[in-house]
Amino acid sequence: MVKIVKSTILEAPVEAVWAVLRDFNGHDQWHTVVADSQIERGQPSDKIGCVRRFHLADGAELREQLLMLSDIDMAFSYCLLDTPIPLLNYVAHVRLIPVTDGDMTFWHWESRFDTPPGREAELEKQVGEDIYEGGFRAVRDFMGLSSPSHGGGA
Amino acid sequence: MPRVFVSSVINAPAAKVWERVRDFNALPRWHPRIRESRIENGEPSDKIGCVRAFSLQNGDQLREKLLGLSDYDMFCTYAILESPMPLTNYIANLRLTPITDGDRTFAEWTAEFDCEDEAADDLVNGIGGNVFQGGFDALKRHFGG
Repeated sequence: MVKIVKSTILEAPVEAVWAVLRDFNGHDQWHTVVADSQIERGQPSDKIGCVRRFHLADGAELREQLLMLSDIDMAFSYCLLDTPIPLLNYVAHVRLIPVTDGDMTFWHWESRFDTPPGREAELEKQVGEDIYEGGFRAVRDFMGLSSPSHGGGA
Repeated sequence: MPRVFVSSVINAPAAKVWERVRDFNALPRWHPRIRESRIENGEPSDKIGCVRAFSLQNGDQLREKLLGLSDYDMFCTYAILESPMPLTNYIANLRLTPITDGDRTFAEWTAEFDCEDEAADDLVNGIGGNVFQGGFDALKRHFGG
């Protein structure tokens, strides 16, 4: 089983970041790898159990189900139902925490999944770098935020 | 029940920051408000249940009991046994999480306690500002940002 944890600091208040991330169907607005997305059966995107069906830029179709969404914790969890990429038993968790020292946001994104034997490293890199770190960059761009100042902290 | 929450970004890997704060008896080494500290009964400072008796720069004396310590999750939970502050049932948690983007540290310090309603604002501001943010400021200075 592969476990991925990626985290970053966004120089924006946590409420503003949550407003972008809480829409389970909103990732095609900001993530550069997502071409289009819709919620099946016309359900609201904050209904637990709803399924988002989306396409990547290369045409691959994926379906993911919302397992948990909490406004008080600013967190959500989801799993993959169908994917041409061999990520098995994939469950991911996204969580935002306020950085009170500077009014910024800590964004934590983690997942666990199985892969076919021998493909662990390749898929870990693909998910961790293209999806998660790429997602951090994409939301920064979407919100018009500056890149992280690794030397600065707060 | 009043709650204090303070969080910060420290410009050093979480393992380095944890090394500095994990010792329950090490407050005088890293927190500028603490003058001296000892663990009662000669117990090791990572024995769950051990008590630290310490004094602040202003002379105030406190005793705190270690309730939880995890090197894996990098957190420490403790309770106040005795202090000059007008509060009871005080439990605090100091937690570090790696920021993979830049290999830095996200530090959170929370506390909950009971007190008279009139005293709540002063206690929350004092603990959050002087103790928690003061500690993070010291860590940020130590680690250069």
